[in-house]
Amino acid sequence: MNVEVFKTEEYVLVSVEGRVDTTNAGEFEKTMMGILEEGALRIVLDCTALNYISSSGLRVFLVVQKKMMASKGHFSLCSLQPGIKEIFDISGFSSIFTIFPHKEAAIKG
Amino acid sequence: MNCKTLLVKNQMLELNRVVAYLDELGEEWELSVPLVFSLNLVVEEALTNIILYGFDDQLEHTIEIDFKNDLDQLYITFIDDGIAYDPTLKEDPDISLSTEDRQIGGLGIFLIKKIMDKVEYKRKENKNFLILTKNIIV
Repeated sequence: MNVEVFKTEEYVLVSVEGRVDTTNAGEFEKTMMGILEEGALRIVLDCTALNYISSSGLRVFLVVQKKMMASKGHFSLCSLQPGIKEIFDISGFSSIFTIFPHKEAAIKG
Repeated sequence: MNCKTLLVKNQMLELNRVVAYLDELGEEWELSVPLVFSLNLVVEEALTNIILYGFDDQLEHTIEIDFKNDLDQLYITFIDDGIAYDPTLKEDPDISLSTEDRQIGGLGIFLIKKIMDKVEYKRKENKNFLILTKNIIV
């Protein structure tokens, strides 16, 4: 897993690459919590290069979404690979996240 | 019928070895990329449950994972000597709940049930047998 964070005044763009699984979900959670603690009000998670996620990773996505909703912020995802989208559909996550096809659309909100 | 067995220790880092093993298995058995993705997921979910919740001692245990492939079906059997636990009895999470009401966690076994076509559990000789079957559409 590799995570890159790009901050602007309007939004924080997080790009996650590779696998988010039981072995590294804790690390991913720490990175996301750091961004939340800085008070980000719009976070876009670019999943273009995310090619695997298990329930440990989904858990982190849900934690972030809950916290962002509580702080009246916006958390959106973009560019989910078909395999990842399927997992989101199965677990009901497709209806609790705002998912955009492209990064540009997600940034505009 | 193709058969292969992988032995892993009850340590989370073993997962990295499992991932590499499944990639090799996928190539050797000429499994599709989406199928290998599904296998990765169900094996991780089942193994994580066994490693994190299956043992009430601090000892090292070996978990056996058997893979069988008979052209139109793929079987994965997990055998461990941990405490008796039947995951098929676990209640499914309510996936229609709103974000606020959704429980954190509890998705692992649900994903296994959804992805695989059959999930069976047996307790024999003080061991747990979790048998997963996937119909392979050619």
